Amino acid sequence: MKLSSKEQAGIVILEPRGKIMGGPDASLLHDKLHECIDGNQNRIIIDLAQVDWMNSTGLGILISSYTTLRNNGGHLKLANVTDKIKSLLTITKLVSVFEAFDSVDEAVASFK
Amino acid sequence: MSSELFTSLAYCLIGGFLIFLAITVTRDNLSNKLNRVTGGMFLCAGLGPIFVAMGTIMSSSSAASGNLEGSVLYGLHHLWEMFYPSLLLFSWIFPVDRLRKFRHQRLRYLIFVPQIMQVALLVFFGQITGIFEVLRLDPAAEGLLALILKPLSGLLEWLFYLISSLRNEHTAVFGAINLFYVGAAIYFLESGRKYLSNPRLLSQTRLVLWGTRLGLGLFVVAHLGTTVLPYEFPPAIKSTLMILALLVATGIFIAATIRYQFLDVRLILRQSFVYTVTSGLLVGAYVLIVIESKQILIGLFGEQAEVISYAFIIVILLLFQPINNWIDEIIRSMFIRTRTDHRNILQRFSRQVISQFDPKKLRVIIDDSLRTSLLVEKVLFVQFDDEVQEYAILPDEDQPRRVVIDRNDLMLRGINLLDAPAYFDSLSDFMEGSSLGERLGERGIKMILPMKDADHMLGFVGLTNKIAGYRYSSEDINLLSVLSNQMVSALTNARLYVESLERIRLQEEVNMARQIQLGLLPSKPPTVSTAAIYACSTPSRTVGGDFYDFIQVDKDRIGIVIADASGKGMPAALMIAQIQAIIRSEVNNGNRIETMMKNMNQQVVAASTSEKYVTLFYGELDTTTGRFYYANAGHNYPVLARANGEIEFLKEGGVVIGALPSMEYRSASVQLGSDDILFLFTDGLSEAMDQNDVEYSEERIHEFVCKHRHKCPDDLVASILSDMKEHDPIDPPRDDTTIIALKMNNNIQVLS
Repeated sequence: MKLSSKEQAGIVILEPRGKIMGGPDASLLHDKLHECIDGNQNRIIIDLAQVDWMNSTGLGILISSYTTLRNNGGHLKLANVTDKIKSLLTITKLVSVFEAFDSVDEAVASFK
Repeated sequence: MSSELFTSLAYCLIGGFLIFLAITVTRDNLSNKLNRVTGGMFLCAGLGPIFVAMGTIMSSSSAASGNLEGSVLYGLHHLWEMFYPSLLLFSWIFPVDRLRKFRHQRLRYLIFVPQIMQVALLVFFGQITGIFEVLRLDPAAEGLLALILKPLSGLLEWLFYLISSLRNEHTAVFGAINLFYVGAAIYFLESGRKYLSNPRLLSQTRLVLWGTRLGLGLFVVAHLGTTVLPYEFPPAIKSTLMILALLVATGIFIAATIRYQFLDVRLILRQSFVYTVTSGLLVGAYVLIVIESKQILIGLFGEQAEVISYAFIIVILLLFQPINNWIDEIIRSMFIRTRTDHRNILQRFSRQVISQFDPKKLRVIIDDSLRTSLLVEKVLFVQFDDEVQEYAILPDEDQPRRVVIDRNDLMLRGINLLDAPAYFDSLSDFMEGSSLGERLGERGIKMILPMKDADHMLGFVGLTNKIAGYRYSSEDINLLSVLSNQMVSALTNARLYVESLERIRLQEEVNMARQIQLGLLPSKPPTVSTAAIYACSTPSRTVGGDFYDFIQVDKDRIGIVIADASGKGMPAALMIAQIQAIIRSEVNNGNRIETMMKNMNQQVVAASTSEKYVTLFYGELDTTTGRFYYANAGHNYPVLARANGEIEFLKEGGVVIGALPSMEYRSASVQLGSDDILFLFTDGLSEAMDQNDVEYSEERIHEFVCKHRHKCPDDLVASILSDMKEHDPIDPPRDDTTIIALKMNNNIQVLS
């Protein structure tokens, strides 16, 4: 997994690319999240447009990111969830937990 | 005549060699007492044969001049007997100076007094007699003066008598003293051996001791034989025995010195010997040429020959210079052996360490190599411990416990800066307040050998002085620096080996965990009158997170669990074990399914981090009615294939277990009819991938189950597994694959 980030209207958008599979991916995403939290930016969108695959550990990383942010008074939203990941979220019933949007703009708008 | 010449020549050579050895030993390190004493000892020993040879020559050449006994040479020849006190002195200070704490150090030299006295007595006896003659009072003298001087004269008389009898019996008296010295020396050498741990040095002293004993034996026979026994040896035999004693003792000393490189002189010795011979020859040739050429030049130039001859000498000198250099080079190349010797050490060392992966044994080899090859007295190891990330002095005979070094110790930092072996003294800038520095000082460490790989200091080796206080030569330091590189790679190899062993051990532990985990699975599915149940779990290579269980809830109801923990390995296995325990206790408590799921979620959330979760499906089959109650916590939807080919999915429930706190769960129920098939699975089946990264997929499962719904559960499972194998032939599978199939029969009494 590779990770880049940008900011849009004061909201951090994280853009992972490739497969989210755990191992080093977990710490990469966590470090980034904590960096944002420390910088007082606790509204974060993860843009999954370029994530083609995610295993159970990868999903675990998303869950813990969600928990971390919520514990710090923030919010995590997902954007551009691919069908594959959407079905994963559906089966695990995490759709009810994560707010998932079809585009980054919609996700950004939802924060207002 | 010629045999006499031959023996005296042999004596001369032996004596010369001993003296040469004495000079070499002393020159090797003049500041060291042991060198000086050993040198002195060899010098005295060398004087013996030289004097004997000179005596032989003189007596044969000037037989007419007669009385050799009275000559100055005869007196001086006893100088060699100083060998005995030097031997005693040597035995005191080797290998450890045992008189170090004795306050009046210089008093020890009093042991030389008898020998000096003997020489003085023999050389100056004539003068002494003369003095006594002058002082002797005329016995007829009268008067006051005579009255006063008489007792004095008596005393002198008595003294004279004593001296002359001493002179007459000097061989016996001083021989006895020498004998006593040798005995004492043997005793001290023997007692000194307990200070030795170096095996090489031990065998060396053993050799020296035997030499001394043998020499002593011969000496006693020669000496006591003449004085104690009534039988008088012919002087020839006597002197032969004496000389033999001398030669055996000193010869063995020489052998010990050279063979065991006792003072590192082997090389210097050989080199200087060859130098001496060749330069002697060269000078001889030079002189010969100069003299000869002068003759020729005088013949040729007559009067001007003198001036021309000087010019000629200069020309020859210039001519000899390159020859000299050339010889010098040859000798040097001959003695490149110094490197070969060191190369031998290195080769032996590499051979030994290359197959040694036990760090402890490796240290023993390093310790042994340094002690035997370089004669290092003691070796101290400081190593970095990866586990606690600290440097520590490893235990040894002087210090039974490991001593951890403070991370900020100034000396440690100083040593960290080193790239090559360095004298401990050169690190004095880092001594201040450093407990490591203090400790190294206490242990007598003189040389620090850092062991560094590309970016990290693995530790260092501290070396005391070489045995008996010898310094390190520049060659030693070069060798140490190469050895330290070897040590680094050996230690790194050993560490990697230990790590790989650790990995194997961990793998074994994982295997054991897998056995335990498999033990948690039910050995066979329950038999119920209304349904056929089949379950199977194919483990992947590592400990996975799949789990299934059957629980008898009450006499009619049977609980079915299928779960998959996120991740793999130990954490997943532990989580599964926890889930099984919770689920069984919840069922025992008789809680409703939704409460049970909520409690389970709470407990798992509390016990694990949020990225770890379990997808879990729990269902209860009423075996009499065929009613199936369930809750699905984020698990792959179980497929219900109706007898008529319709497909339903059991979705109702809630979020995966263990991810988020305070989750609510809902339960639902379905009515199962005869020949309906309930098919539960984990993602190992649905996500089995072919080489094009195409998953087996849930859709394919649905179709397969529907198509093969007429099969009995075990056949269905076997055929879908073989279908999956076709899709993804990897064995064992990438992920755990668990399947439960349940098929109702027509014994059920469906409630209206």
